[in-house]
Amino acid sequence: MKPAPFEYLAPRGAAEAVEALSGEDARVLAGGQSLVLEMNYRTARPARLVDINRVEEFARLDVDRAGESGDGALRVRPLVRHRAFELPVEHAGVGPLARLLSLVAHHIAHPPIRARGTMLGSLAYAHPAAEWPAVATTLGAHLDLAGPDGTRTVAAGDFFTGPFGTVRRPEELLIQARLPLLPEGAGVGFVEHRRTHASFAALAAIAVLRLRDGVVDWVRLGLVNAADRPVRAHAAERALLGQPAGTEAASAARAVSGGGAASAAGAVDGAGAVAGAAEVAGDVDADPRPQPHASIAYQRHAVTVLVRRALDQALRDARVSGDGG
Amino acid sequence: MRTRLTVNGQARELDVEPRRTLADALREDCGLTGTHLACEHGVCGACTVLVDGEAVRSCLMFAVQCDGRQVRTVEGLAAADGTPHPLQEAFSAEHALQCGFCTPGFLMLAAGALARDPSVAADPDRLRELLTSNLCRCTGYESIRRAVVRAAGELDGARHADS
Amino acid sequence: MVEGEMARRGGWAPARREDARLVRGAGCFVGDLRVPGCLEAAFVRGAVAHGELRGVHVAQARRMPRVAVVWSASDLPQVPLTPPMLGIKAAKGRPWPALATDRVRYAGQPVALVLAADRYAAEDARDAVRVDVAPLPVLLDPTRAADSEVLLFPGEPNVAVDKDFGDPIDDAVWRDAAVVVEGRYRQQLLAHTSMEARAILIRPEGADGLTVWCSHQAPHRLRGDLANALGLSRQRIRVVVPDVGGAFGGKSETYPEYLALAVAARELGRPVRWLEDRAEALTGPPHGRGQNQRTRMAADADGRILAYQLEIDADIGGYPHLGAFVPLNSSVLAAGAYRTPRVHVRARAVLTTTAPTSPYRGAGRPEAATAIERTVDLLARRLGLDPAELRLRNFIRPDELPYQTPTGFTYDSGDYAAALRLAMRTVDYEGWRAEQARRREGGVEPPLGIGICSYVERSGNASEFGSVEACPDGRFIALSGCCSTGQGHETSFPQVVAAVLGVEPELIRLVEADTALVPRGIGSYSSRSMQTGGAALHQAAGALIELARGRLAERLSVPIERIRYHAGTVSADGESMSLGALAAATGPLRTDEVVDPPQAVPFGTYIAVVEVDPELGSVRVLRIVAVDDYGVVVNPVIVHGQTAGSVVQGLGQSLYEQVRYDDDGLPSTLTLLDYLIPTMSEVPPLTLAETCSPNPNTALGAKGAGEAGCIGTPAAILNAVADALDLDDPNVLQTPLTPYACWEAARTGSGRSAARRAPLRVEATR
Repeated sequence: MKPAPFEYLAPRGAAEAVEALSGEDARVLAGGQSLVLEMNYRTARPARLVDINRVEEFARLDVDRAGESGDGALRVRPLVRHRAFELPVEHAGVGPLARLLSLVAHHIAHPPIRARGTMLGSLAYAHPAAEWPAVATTLGAHLDLAGPDGTRTVAAGDFFTGPFGTVRRPEELLIQARLPLLPEGAGVGFVEHRRTHASFAALAAIAVLRLRDGVVDWVRLGLVNAADRPVRAHAAERALLGQPAGTEAASAARAVSGGGAASAAGAVDGAGAVAGAAEVAGDVDADPRPQPHASIAYQRHAVTVLVRRALDQALRDARVSGDGG
Repeated sequence: MRTRLTVNGQARELDVEPRRTLADALREDCGLTGTHLACEHGVCGACTVLVDGEAVRSCLMFAVQCDGRQVRTVEGLAAADGTPHPLQEAFSAEHALQCGFCTPGFLMLAAGALARDPSVAADPDRLRELLTSNLCRCTGYESIRRAVVRAAGELDGARHADS
Repeated sequence: MVEGEMARRGGWAPARREDARLVRGAGCFVGDLRVPGCLEAAFVRGAVAHGELRGVHVAQARRMPRVAVVWSASDLPQVPLTPPMLGIKAAKGRPWPALATDRVRYAGQPVALVLAADRYAAEDARDAVRVDVAPLPVLLDPTRAADSEVLLFPGEPNVAVDKDFGDPIDDAVWRDAAVVVEGRYRQQLLAHTSMEARAILIRPEGADGLTVWCSHQAPHRLRGDLANALGLSRQRIRVVVPDVGGAFGGKSETYPEYLALAVAARELGRPVRWLEDRAEALTGPPHGRGQNQRTRMAADADGRILAYQLEIDADIGGYPHLGAFVPLNSSVLAAGAYRTPRVHVRARAVLTTTAPTSPYRGAGRPEAATAIERTVDLLARRLGLDPAELRLRNFIRPDELPYQTPTGFTYDSGDYAAALRLAMRTVDYEGWRAEQARRREGGVEPPLGIGICSYVERSGNASEFGSVEACPDGRFIALSGCCSTGQGHETSFPQVVAAVLGVEPELIRLVEADTALVPRGIGSYSSRSMQTGGAALHQAAGALIELARGRLAERLSVPIERIRYHAGTVSADGESMSLGALAAATGPLRTDEVVDPPQAVPFGTYIAVVEVDPELGSVRVLRIVAVDDYGVVVNPVIVHGQTAGSVVQGLGQSLYEQVRYDDDGLPSTLTLLDYLIPTMSEVPPLTLAETCSPNPNTALGAKGAGEAGCIGTPAAILNAVADALDLDDPNVLQTPLTPYACWEAARTGSGRSAARRAPLRVEATR
């Protein structure tokens, strides 16, 4: 399990890095925690590796504060390691986004991998079971790609094309991800289902929502490994938006969906909405692929369960963090 | 490619192919065979070493990436006079190794973490998360957990004695 | 005297001697050896599971830099055949060449050998070799392969072994019994996953000699196999086993790669090494387990078991190797711990196009225990009896031991009921049953299950060599034919000798795992080291005392009865000499002993408590209690370490591990992200307890330890999950118990629970 030969370049600046990528069959080496695995198996045999670890500016993590239009963002550059997100990132105003990223980060591999691997590397690699691509897609992140002809921006929702597939051209470097800040008072939830702590996610669900007077007035739902690419659960979001959803709703929803009838909702306010949205996520938004240890039916069912649990978590978080419920 | 790095405090200059992994450079070019290769795809952690104090999989890093960096391996864990590191003593005392093949990786994983933040051993969840990084097929892990807690206690005691 | 010493000194656990080097990274594994001029090997492997080998094109690979040779079978001066292990007749007419000659029978079979300056260059050349194979149909299931018209060896049936144990059971027994239950179980294929994979370094010594360093469990066996396969004299081959990074049954064999390498070393006159990598190790060979089982059990209305039938179809892969022995081991132990008057087993070892199998920790015992223990639970359920109660009604009683089972095996000593009762007390069986009832009543919390596995196993086989010598400097050298692969022999064997001699263990140095230093030996597998190897050393130490007494009696011209021995010194009439001084004065003082005790029967009971996420099917193991009886335990810390590690491997089989093949017969578990072994986060709280029934057949009294965790754990967890899900048909549960498997089982196998739980859900919503 030794890699095939390659040419090694270690640029010191961003422009130099982009230029180095223009070579035939060049790959970016950031954390290398997936790429080098593949090279050791020789399923990847790049002719050139462009090691960007010496580009100092790539280590930056900045916040653009929300302006009048509420368009604040966390700007993540290519050398920000997974570990940077383990503890909620210390930037004022990042609040719920930082909590979400922290929840997610602890599910990525384990500490030594997180100390090397990068968020942008994970986005560019586009492993179907990776967490960050689904986070970026769900939140509507913007991804900046630098190429020989300048920089273009792609919405995360348009970036991923399938397992290990993105619209990034080989000569382009994913130079920045802009994750929009979440509304004040939003609650966040992330629930992952996996077989052991060393395995990739079998499935995972992301839930972010804000309540006004007990009604969901802002929501983002996303799914990991529930289709050939990351999923933003638009249909489930629509099902939940404008619905009442107290913090008791999700736990009550468990009983409801256990009975299989979202219509039996009445008892606890909002239980039906949460259960209903979760079922929509499993039935409509998910498009599971065959997996070795899960039928399609199981995956749809599990998506429903996970979304409901993530919503439960988000509802609790909204209450704890302030003005929810 | 010429690569200068410091291994266990000793300056080394290597001339290696770019594809040579740090693990192979340590084992073959530096003669430090205590770093073991067991999976070569970053899952098992047997090859864990410290690069600038950070525990990394040396099978997933190229030696050329370590130009100008400090590398510490299991051979550099004991004191210069040969006094074992508290982790080394604790692993033996708690029977935290059987075949010993994964042991250097666990030792370096724990050494890096305890140096960074000794409190990790006092928090069962964080300790579990940390030690879930590596695989062992012999011990069933519980003795490894006990050993790290024990060593953390020793290190803590030593710190207090110093101050 | 000897028992008294052991009782006094046993149960004592000094720090392991091995640790001092291993924690400093100063161990020496095969990959750590520095042998000048050594070439590194990579194997070109068939990328097709089954097919006719049409051509191996090596020209381009040979031109690559730093490559010494690229050889297919046609380039070798001889193509040795992989020796049949334990003389298994199934290999007759089914040769397994060192490199494939005309056909490949599993994906990954070695087709060509590359030797280069380093492994990087070797893999470059490996990738440049083109292999032409015309595919043939694949066979991935032993039961189907048994009846298939596709033959792996034309002219020879796919069923390589077909053997009966015990007398066939008369139809009337099944017809007239109050209750008959039937089970269908699948033991999935597993990967041994020792952290160090296979490794071998061979250096030619002159025209007809070899020094072989190998990560192995049985150096003398390897030496004999190499000598036979290559036509060399045993005396000219030295096998040295340095530190070994785990074995678990997969390193006691002689593999085709070893033979190809030996031929190359001789041909080139250079040292050569092969370090198996994880990609190779996960695709095998070897694999472990791999059985389809059908069981049938009859009982009277009181739950007394009347008859038990077990049919095994074992997957042994593309070539009959040591895996063909495994179903026979299952058969011998089929009866379990029960006084069942009629037991019949039919065991078939069947060729398929998976990689060849070998023993894997437990080696047929877990398969046997799982079959009978699941079936006993099925019976308990049918009778409405508590599974513990049913077991207590059927255990062989201590006063019935030694007991010969209908399959022809003799159980030696023990109290099976005592082990179950101790396990029940330790886990608080009644408390968990109450908790289970409470949860079922409430209908809200996850369902909880309690599972029991009462196992018997057999440990040790064949003879073993042990020798103790008193050296003039006052130290002692112990030689053993065993071979540690992580079990700590350097520490525990001297303890045995020290206990007999009444001297400090530090004075005793163990030498093993080198055929040049140890004249004969069998090795370490089948939990045999302490039971048999320890017994040999025990006997040799005792004989040394007698030898020394005789020597001094002769020297003093007094009757031997007057010579006393105490703590390393012989004395009489005021004259006293240490054994070292005696050796210095009278010449070498050494005894060589060979013991050949019958196999022993360790036993015990495991209880697992689990809860199952009713929505996702995930199993959470809340508790495992392991009660084992290993006879006399010499070093409790080492033995407990063996048990704990073994339990976690059993947990791996139960919940996570499975070697998978795709429809084309290509392995699809290629990484440790696909083949999942437990991490620390998967390990449940584990409590160990012991009973002690000394081995009646050796003076030492030890029985085998090390495999029990793999034997007791899977059935305990399976029964616990079936109990939690309240399954009417537990046959729907097969390992690994993935969340999906449990979810599916709950949907399809639990008529009763569905009926009971559905209304609860409705109530909860009101």
